[in-house]
Amino acid sequence: MTFKRQFLQSVAALSVGLFLSGCGKTPPAPVAAEPAASTPAAPAPAAKVITVGTDPTYAPFEFQNEKGEIVGFDMDVLRAAAQKAGLEVKFVSTPWEGAFTALAQGDRDVLVSAITITDERKQTMDFSDPYFEASQLIAVPATSTVAKLDDLKKKKIGVQTGTTGEEVVVKLQGKTSTNIKRFESTPLALAELAAGGVDAVVADNGVVIHYLANNPSAGFKSISDAGFAPEFYGVAVKKGNAELLAQINKGLADIKADGSYQAINDKYFKQAK
Amino acid sequence: MVWRWDILAGYGPLFAQGLWMTVQLTVIATGAGMLLGAAVGLVNTSSLAPPSPPWPVAWALKLLRALATAYVTFFRGTPLFVQILLVHFALMPLLIHPDGGWLLQGDMAREFRQEHGAFFSGAVALTLNAGAYISEIFRAGIQSIHSGQNAAAQSLGMSPWLSMRYIVLPQAFRRMVPALVNEMVALVKDTSLVSAIGLLELAMAARTVAGAYSRYWEPYLAISAMYLVLTWTLSQLAKKLEVPEHARGR
Repeated sequence: MTFKRQFLQSVAALSVGLFLSGCGKTPPAPVAAEPAASTPAAPAPAAKVITVGTDPTYAPFEFQNEKGEIVGFDMDVLRAAAQKAGLEVKFVSTPWEGAFTALAQGDRDVLVSAITITDERKQTMDFSDPYFEASQLIAVPATSTVAKLDDLKKKKIGVQTGTTGEEVVVKLQGKTSTNIKRFESTPLALAELAAGGVDAVVADNGVVIHYLANNPSAGFKSISDAGFAPEFYGVAVKKGNAELLAQINKGLADIKADGSYQAINDKYFKQAK
Repeated sequence: MVWRWDILAGYGPLFAQGLWMTVQLTVIATGAGMLLGAAVGLVNTSSLAPPSPPWPVAWALKLLRALATAYVTFFRGTPLFVQILLVHFALMPLLIHPDGGWLLQGDMAREFRQEHGAFFSGAVALTLNAGAYISEIFRAGIQSIHSGQNAAAQSLGMSPWLSMRYIVLPQAFRRMVPALVNEMVALVKDTSLVSAIGLLELAMAARTVAGAYSRYWEPYLAISAMYLVLTWTLSQLAKKLEVPEHARGR
């Protein structure tokens, strides 16, 4: 095989690849973000580093920026709260489906990943005080006639596996319904909606609002249903880890008191309202 | 450690459907992949057959060979997981989209995507992937037949095509059987990746239960057993199909 032939073949192979991929951007490899250096409020001698598990596919709560750093609302809140408590945080990308196991086995000290506080989850982990109030939203094409959750009884719905959104539609359609299409992440479910593969997506309000704000061309609208109970996101720690829980709660209380929590909240949700 | 097998009970229909979906995907991808792989494999080995064809045919074959090599290189050199996502979220919306799909548009497109979208994308991705691997199995099988066989066929006045059809392929195919069954076993396992695009196959059934209960042993052990039954059955079949020891040539 001469060099010329090899070269031509590799060019051909590349062009097939490029044709198939159009123009894509490869996601950066997960790298834990270094905590931003800032002036410490109190001289904390060698702050204890806690390992924080998060699934960074959930903008604006946790996602990865162009540099591969894990950033988002949850990161800013926890970092600020931990700083108040004299702790340092290290964020580690942890797939959602295995996150609770990683916490139970001690691979992660803390989980912060837009986790809704539920009674079921309280049996296997402990939660901090709530740091965000959320509710479910229905995303549908702008032309859709869907006006409330009940209208989705016979429709195909996209959800992220293991989320509150999934629980809601399972309650609506039954646990063996084949009209429920499950995806690994909410953005994937929304991509399916954009392609016309599902009639609606049910997911957390923050994520849906963020997606709508960033993808006006998708032509979606969001619908809230009075039947959706408000939910609260909490920071999860291993069951029985009272010391760490108290530190996190104190930190959260401090940032709520001094206005820094509000500043973070405004940064992410003010313009999206 | 407490086992809670009861949590699987309510999901019986999901597992049954998932198993059926996995079997369907495997059969379709193997069948279509064999046809594709045979075609690509023949194109790739077309340079071996004497005598040289007239120049327009030779050039057409050259171009086909370049395309075939590019195809095989791409599908063997990238992860299947990526290929599935590419097909479902990038390629298919181009072809089948409610507004402005190249093949299907409007309500027909919507309906097709809703009813069969994930299955179709998964089958296409798996077929393309299997086709690339199977074409290499064909190429190796054909090249393993001694060139003297071709020369002998030529001396009897057979055309390259006739010699391929009646002399080379029947012998080569016998040698390919184990590798082809291997590919089918690999496909059974690879179908689990299609759960990434929301298709309800066996792995998705387990992920649904795991997501609902945050329990991992029971659902994943259950599907491991089901996959094992499938792959083990295929391996036994392969043993039956292999050329018996006393009949093996040199």
